[in-house]
Amino acid sequence: MENGMVEKATSIIKIPVTLEIPIGPQHPALHEPVLLKIYADGEEVVGVEIGTGYNHRGIEKLLENNTFYKGKFIASRVCGICNAVHENCFVRAVEYLVGMKPSPRAEYLRVLVMELERLHSHMLINAIMAEIIGFDTLFMYIMRDRELVMKAKEIVAGNRVSADFHMFNGVRRDIDDVKRDKLIDLLRRVEPRLKYYRKLFEDDPTISKRLTEIGVLKAKDVTSYGMLGPVLRGSGIKSDARAEDRYDAYNEIPFNVVVRGEGDSLARMLVRWDEALESLEMCKYILEHLPSGPAAVDERKLPRTFPAGESFARVEAPRGELTYYIQHAGGNKPYRVKVRTPSLNNIINSGFSYLGHSVADVPVILVSYDPCISCMERAIIVDLKNKVEKRATLREIAMKEVRL
Amino acid sequence: MSIVREALKNLLSKPATIEYPKKPVPIEKDFRGRHYADLRKCTGCTLCAIECPSNCITMEKLPENAKLKHNPRGLYPNIRYMSCVFCYRCVRVCPVDAYVTTNEYRLSSVKEVFSKELTLQTLG
Repeated sequence: MENGMVEKATSIIKIPVTLEIPIGPQHPALHEPVLLKIYADGEEVVGVEIGTGYNHRGIEKLLENNTFYKGKFIASRVCGICNAVHENCFVRAVEYLVGMKPSPRAEYLRVLVMELERLHSHMLINAIMAEIIGFDTLFMYIMRDRELVMKAKEIVAGNRVSADFHMFNGVRRDIDDVKRDKLIDLLRRVEPRLKYYRKLFEDDPTISKRLTEIGVLKAKDVTSYGMLGPVLRGSGIKSDARAEDRYDAYNEIPFNVVVRGEGDSLARMLVRWDEALESLEMCKYILEHLPSGPAAVDERKLPRTFPAGESFARVEAPRGELTYYIQHAGGNKPYRVKVRTPSLNNIINSGFSYLGHSVADVPVILVSYDPCISCMERAIIVDLKNKVEKRATLREIAMKEVRL
Repeated sequence: MSIVREALKNLLSKPATIEYPKKPVPIEKDFRGRHYADLRKCTGCTLCAIECPSNCITMEKLPENAKLKHNPRGLYPNIRYMSCVFCYRCVRVCPVDAYVTTNEYRLSSVKEVFSKELTLQTLG
């Protein structure tokens, strides 16, 4: 420099600054208590740790300590939004154990409640997605129209959210013609709104610019990480427990399995809208073709105890495949109930999909998986000897990386 | 969605919400609301208290002056509404259909609410 010569730099030393940003468990963008520990290099996400355990209630233990009849109500309270599918899965697992078969009308009514639930669950998560991307008007509109579906559920089941509709060998209430007409009228009012929102999510530049190519999951990723439900179908894999198992009345009700190949957040949301429209068509079909006969069971005449054995049932919840495994040693209480919920797979295994995106995209990607944290709180290992609690993923336990 | 059109439409239309305390909320007749035992039917068999999933029903002794022929044990169910989940299991398992069901949903209170008063009123 002194001689007027400019020395050229031969090397640059870069110090990587990785910032640890906790998103959650209390966060305005996340509606549920989950901790995403983001490691960010500038704006880019370079690592994600998913921490759960803020909503653990010990439901599986509770199910072991209570009778099957109490357990049915406890199972439906695993999750608020998808309570009817939890109930259906538990009830069907017990029915397989005993060899009960509900009447055709009861099966149709069960499907009606579950599809109404799928309808309002998909509307809810799409509304939340609209809110997360800053489209609050759309959030308000979807939530307003969701009220119609909640009203329909109130007419069928007697409560807006907690249906408590299933009972072993049938359902707990029946619907008459007045209720049926009311339901058809409500569904007719919902239909144009659903079609409008579906079109809006596809056409609106605000939404498509924010969601396209965000959180892309390839078909290889979703299968190797074991993801379920609309996440799986949004990545081009046709898998639906309703179509595969044809439980309850799904073998008689026509429906299409919605699949999209893009694999991004927008594809997952559009799969949900298409499924909501399918559910609406199914509800209409059920109400028009409801078989006659008894549906409601007299709860006083059901058996007090059930024969020993083990059974397994699976059901397509709004978030993916939900399974219940019941081991029963005789008597009135189950020996073991294992619940495997779709959110457990979809959230805990999804860490890889945030990498490379900016910090602002993290809530969008999380919401596109439709997280249901109350469903997924499972693996906390309590060391009774030393009185310590530690958290581990189920994979670590399966691979024996964690000493139990 | 054009924001100008939506804004104009919303300025000219009524609110979508119900002004709750001024106007009643439309509720179904068979909504699972507040329920209580009718002492003219209740036999004090305790089945509802055994079957309750949230353990919110306790069996209590009838008042001294009330002697009911069909209720030899002199017990009646008292529901703690604050822990009740309104699943209506008690209503369905009752062998004599003694429960009176209503669609009353406005149960919020700063004090604990029990079904005792309503049940004792049925004595007449």
